[in-house]
Amino acid sequence: MILVTNIYNEALIAAIEVKEANLTVSDGFKDEMTALIDKGNKYIVVNFEGVIYVDSSFLGALVSSLKYAIANQTEIVVAGLNKDVSGLFQLIRLDKAFKIYPSVIEAAERKS
Amino acid sequence: MAVSKKILLVDDNPLVLEMMGRALAKEGFNCLKANSANEAMTILEQQRPDIILSDYHMPDVDGFAFRQNLIAVPAYKDIPFMFLTSEDDNELMLKGINLEAVDYILKDTPLPVVVTKLNNFLSTVREQHERTLKELSVAAMALNLHSVPQKLPVIKGFEADFWHKPFQNYPGGDFIDFITIDARYTFIILGDVMGKKWGAWYFSFGFLSYIRAAVRICIAEGNFSTKSILQKINAVVYHDPVVNDVLSSLSLVMVDTQAASITYSGAGDLPLLYYNALNDELKQIGSSGMLLGLMPDGDFDEQTIALNTGDRLFIFTDGIIDFEDTDGKKTDYNTFTRAITPYLKQPFATFKKSDFLQDKIVAHIDDCSLIHLQKTIQ
Repeated sequence: MILVTNIYNEALIAAIEVKEANLTVSDGFKDEMTALIDKGNKYIVVNFEGVIYVDSSFLGALVSSLKYAIANQTEIVVAGLNKDVSGLFQLIRLDKAFKIYPSVIEAAERKS
Repeated sequence: MAVSKKILLVDDNPLVLEMMGRALAKEGFNCLKANSANEAMTILEQQRPDIILSDYHMPDVDGFAFRQNLIAVPAYKDIPFMFLTSEDDNELMLKGINLEAVDYILKDTPLPVVVTKLNNFLSTVREQHERTLKELSVAAMALNLHSVPQKLPVIKGFEADFWHKPFQNYPGGDFIDFITIDARYTFIILGDVMGKKWGAWYFSFGFLSYIRAAVRICIAEGNFSTKSILQKINAVVYHDPVVNDVLSSLSLVMVDTQAASITYSGAGDLPLLYYNALNDELKQIGSSGMLLGLMPDGDFDEQTIALNTGDRLFIFTDGIIDFEDTDGKKTDYNTFTRAITPYLKQPFATFKKSDFLQDKIVAHIDDCSLIHLQKTIQ
C-alpha cells in the first residue's frame, strides 16, 4: 500500500506513505489511484506531507492518474508539497494541471 | 549479489512442514509455510517466493490441482515449482513433469541433499536472470544510439554539444536529437519520457518519431513556428492510445544561423539557462507549455532570443537538478545554476569534466542530459 485513505468533508484524502516517491512505487501508486477513481470518488486530495522527493516516474504516474480522473469526471488536487516539490511543480507547469493547496484541510474544504 | 532464498512449503502434515521449515531456515532460507493449497494461495497474494516446494497428496486440493491452479494465474505461473513426495512413482513423476514442475524431492532424501538441490537450482535461476539482463542491456545500448545523436551537428556560427548519462547505465527516457534542415536552420530537441529504464526507453522512440515527423512536416509547409510544431505533436500524442498514457517533457529550440537567433518552445520542461556574455548575466528562460499529451491544448508559447558572440544556452532534464545529501534525495534548480556559473567563460568541454557532472555519474539518481549551444562568431 502506497496510499492511506480517509474521508474528510466529502473529500477522499489519499496520503502518500513513502518519503521518496520514485520509480519503485510509481506503478503501485497509479494502480491505487485508478482503483480509487473506479470506486466512484469524485474529489481526491493527494497528500504529499510525508514526501521529501518526487522523481519523474512518480510525476508521470500522477499526471497519468489525472488524465484518467478527467476522463471519469473526477477532480484530483494536491496538498502538503514541501518547498522542493512545490518548486518542481511550478518549474514544469504542473501547477497549471493541478490545484495546489497548502494543507489537506484547505484542500478538503476547497478553500482557494 | 546474495541469492534471495524465499521458499513456500506446502504440506498438510504439520510435522513435515515444521521439520523441513526448521532445517531450511537454518540454511538461510526464508520459509513461508502453508498446510493446504488454499492457504498457499492466500500467502501468494501477499508475497512472492523464489520457489515453491509442495506435497503431492493433500486433502481437498492435491499437489497436482494446486500446480494447475498456479499455472492458470500469470503472476504465479513462472514461480519455480518442485514436488515433495514420499513415493518413488514414475507415473506420478511423469504427470508432474507435464505440469512444468522443475524437479522432485523424495521426503526421505537427507536434508543436506535437499538444501544443496534447492541452492543449486536458485543459483542457476539467478545466473540465468543476470545473463539475460546483461544481453538485453547490451542489445538495448546498441539500439539506444538512436535516442541520443551519434555525432554533433555543424551549425555555422554556433557550437553545439551535449552530455548524457543514463540512469544506472540502463537506457532511459531522455532523448536528444539535432535535426539539420539546411545551412540556415537546425532544430535541437531534448525530451524526457517520465519514467526510467526499459519502459521509458521504449516510449522515447515513439515520441522522437512524432517530433521528427512534426518538425519535417511543418518545415515542408513553410511553418517555422516552434509553438505550432509543439501543438501538432501534442495533438497527436494526446489522441494516440499507444503513448497517451505516457507523458513526456520537451524542449524544442530552432537555431537560425542567418538571423543569429534561437526560437524556443517548451512542454513541461525545465526552464533553459541563457548566458548573455556582454552583460555577464545568466538568466532562466521559461515557457508556458504543459507536458506533451497532458491536455488537449498544451498552452504553448514561443520566444526568440538574438544571440551574440559568447552567448550560451543550456538545455537540460531533471536528472541534472536532482541530488542526494544526508537528508535524502532532493530537487533544486539552483544547484545547476551555481555549478555552471564558474564555467561560463570556459569551454563546455571543461564543464563536462567538472566534479558536478562527474558526481552525477556516481550518484545514479536519474537520467541526466544537458545540451550546450554557444554563439561563436559574429
